[in-house]
Amino acid sequence: MTIATAIVNSTPVFGRMFNVDKSTGLEEINAWPALMIMASFIWLAVAGVLGLVMPATQIFNLDTGHFYTTLTLHGAALAFPFSFQLMIGVGLHRSGGCVGKAITGWLPAMTFITMNLGAAILTVAILMGFKVSLVVMFPLPLVGAQMGIWSMNTVIVGFTGIYLVLACMILLYPLLVLKMLFHGKKRPELVLAERSLNDPGMLGMTLSALTLLISGLPLVAVGTTLLLALYGVIPMSMAAWAAEPVVFQYVFFIFAHNLMEAMALMVTSAMYATLPLYLADGTRKLFSDKLANAGLWILLLTSITSFLHHFITSYPAQPAALAYWGNIMSWGTGIGAALSIFTVLATIWQHGLRAEPGIIMALLGWVLYILDGASAMVTSNIAWAYVLHGTMWQSGHVMTVILAMSVMWMGVLYHHYPVITGRKLDPVLGTWFIRLFTVGGFGAAISMLAGGAAGMPRRFADWNQEGWMIYGHLIVIFGLILGAAFVVYLYNLLQSRELNEAIGQRVGAT
Amino acid sequence: MLDFLFSGWGAFWMTMAMLLPFAGMFWYVIHRKSVVDCGPSTTLPAAMSRIESYWLTAVFVIFVTINLASLKFMPIMATALAATGGGPVQEVELTATSWKYEMSTREVEAGKPVRFSGRAKDTQHGFAVYHPDGRMLFTMLMMPGVSKATSVVRTFTETGTYKIRCLEYCGIAHHGMQDELIVVKSKVAT
Repeated sequence: MTIATAIVNSTPVFGRMFNVDKSTGLEEINAWPALMIMASFIWLAVAGVLGLVMPATQIFNLDTGHFYTTLTLHGAALAFPFSFQLMIGVGLHRSGGCVGKAITGWLPAMTFITMNLGAAILTVAILMGFKVSLVVMFPLPLVGAQMGIWSMNTVIVGFTGIYLVLACMILLYPLLVLKMLFHGKKRPELVLAERSLNDPGMLGMTLSALTLLISGLPLVAVGTTLLLALYGVIPMSMAAWAAEPVVFQYVFFIFAHNLMEAMALMVTSAMYATLPLYLADGTRKLFSDKLANAGLWILLLTSITSFLHHFITSYPAQPAALAYWGNIMSWGTGIGAALSIFTVLATIWQHGLRAEPGIIMALLGWVLYILDGASAMVTSNIAWAYVLHGTMWQSGHVMTVILAMSVMWMGVLYHHYPVITGRKLDPVLGTWFIRLFTVGGFGAAISMLAGGAAGMPRRFADWNQEGWMIYGHLIVIFGLILGAAFVVYLYNLLQSRELNEAIGQRVGAT
Repeated sequence: MLDFLFSGWGAFWMTMAMLLPFAGMFWYVIHRKSVVDCGPSTTLPAAMSRIESYWLTAVFVIFVTINLASLKFMPIMATALAATGGGPVQEVELTATSWKYEMSTREVEAGKPVRFSGRAKDTQHGFAVYHPDGRMLFTMLMMPGVSKATSVVRTFTETGTYKIRCLEYCGIAHHGMQDELIVVKSKVAT
């Protein structure tokens, strides 16, 4: 039994959802993904409660400091240890089964530890008063310490947590994926559904890992320098270049923007791999592999530099040419999405679909992702950026992209779950999740976009100004429905044990 | 029509216009091919290729049209024109610091271009101007340490008291970082 299996087995409640099936001889590709997926759902539970507390602090007129605390906690928990870790877990299980390589050793262990330890340390810092929002808002951490809002020790703790999370996302996870794809010997007994790197179901994984690694390295350099200075290893004067707000903001958004695009590439690839398995006529082929890969390449090439749209409203500090470029490239991502949309729909049209809950969840996440893509393109247009930047529109965009990708992974997990645990999920509960998520997910997203359209500021502890509270109420109502959807999903995982239907099937055989 | 399209609510309805036909098409394809008739399609490959070409052409044309139509509404354009046009411009210089604004003036005249030039002193701040009816007219992102001030040129057409808010999260009193701009009738007949 591996250490990952032991941790899962000893975890109360959530451990029962992911008890690894040891009878199939696949523990080497099941254990670490199971642990990571389990941990991601624990963080989802934390993030979900905080997501409801956040508007509640406003509705019940609680201290505004509580709003900013929950805002930072909720965002950090949802984006990284939940959504990204879920992607790591399911994605690794996919790649392990596709290339027939074990997910063992220090690299998956360090990936797990840095993500969860980092997120836990960041949580402690936030509870100590480090209210800097999901995107850090540099140089706010240092300014806050200078103003006495939080202590410098809090900054050091917070940056340590952030650094560990970034080390996981930028270095360890991409290296783990690349190592699996390009190094080591294939073990035939671990192959579940063999795929080549040119397969649309694998290409996105490679591109995604490279995107994270390359776009994140400048941030690692800046973060390492700052952290060394904060710990007193190097003098602050040597870190002055990294503490420049412009430097930090640009390297941060080069990574943060491409992090979302990398996750999109990864999940699109997972969709390309999973959809053919549910085609009614059993052909197991996409409409066109070439078209699918073209969609991924266009998405990659256009998204790399579209991060410039984050700074449109700082003109002329950011030159107009770069703003136009960010605008054009952002809409270029829509062309890549159009190719992917056509590939998915044409595949279903040609071959029919077995509408099982897992694939419908993934497709539902896809539609939400398209809503998010449309909202992202709109706000990347220079004219619209000036009336939307800094409003709830942006929060709606970020929440929607995280939610959409998470639900797509949750749908893909439906497919992998029997292999990992030897148990089957209840399709009726799956259908209830889909119904509740459709109402809650789309309702919350559209409410937040509407709030942004009405000028409601994001990260703002007073929604009563200008009558914006109506959007706050809508967000709470749809948030509760969304919360109910996730409870149903988790309950399905929990009670799958009682079904006792160990199917022992391999992913490739379904 | 275009004035509305490039407002906040115009953005909302544009997003819905992109989503709803797509969501409808998605539902139709899935319903048709999983419930009504899940057998292999009889649509010929040539027809699928034609549909693919129409779809991509439509997407490209719509994207280009929207962005070309937006050129007139890009504040960057107005700012650049004001910088090179040589006409009279009212100057409002401002410095944002946690959690207040220092402004060279809080009163401007309607009908004449106003150039807002802003700098942030400590951390990132925003400068968003809201119409008296609650609509957001524009926002500026100001980062400390940059060599050039963030700038927007805007011509106000209606008099009244406009609310100013910071839209970049800047700490625990961020929501209280507000000010006012008074737009008065032009003192010189134009």
